[in-house]
Amino acid sequence: MSFLGFGRPQPTSEEKISAVQAEMKVLTQMHDRLTKACAKKCVPNDYRESELNKGESVCLDRCAAKFFDVHMKVSELLQQEMQSKGAGGGGFGFGG
Amino acid sequence: MDGLTAAETRELEQRMQKQQMKVFFGLFSNLVDHCFMSCIDDFTSKSLTGRESGCVARCVQKHMALSQRLSERFQEYNAQMTQQQQQQGGGFR
Repeated sequence: MSFLGFGRPQPTSEEKISAVQAEMKVLTQMHDRLTKACAKKCVPNDYRESELNKGESVCLDRCAAKFFDVHMKVSELLQQEMQSKGAGGGGFGFGG
Repeated sequence: MDGLTAAETRELEQRMQKQQMKVFFGLFSNLVDHCFMSCIDDFTSKSLTGRESGCVARCVQKHMALSQRLSERFQEYNAQMTQQQQQQGGGFR
């Protein structure tokens, strides 16, 4: 029974800013990992050519799609694992 | 992302600028490491051979193209995720 959101503590400026920053950091890291992984998988490192060829470009696109799929898959599986192992009903909810 | 005041947005932007410098230097050093490891194997001379510096130049150029392409895919994916989250009822604030 919370009227007008009284029950919810207001986040401070610092908290709000660092939350956004943390989100950006996660995205940057993911982008970094994606680049490293797909460069390794798709581009041979003898560098005879300075342009991406057709095959490499297609490989990069598919690699990115699969990387995101694996990202989702692992997070799903991990969550399932946590739920079945961890204390039932704990959950991750914020304030309730 | 929403619900920041003007002052908070300014503070955030300042911090992002600092972070961007860090990110940029990170990319730079990764590229140096990668191109060095890929192109340089011969240590019979202390200066770069023509073949080595050509390889480094191609390595840098190719990585620019590669990271641009992956950035596009990354942005598409993010846009898709954001859209999905909004459709699922806004998530939390």
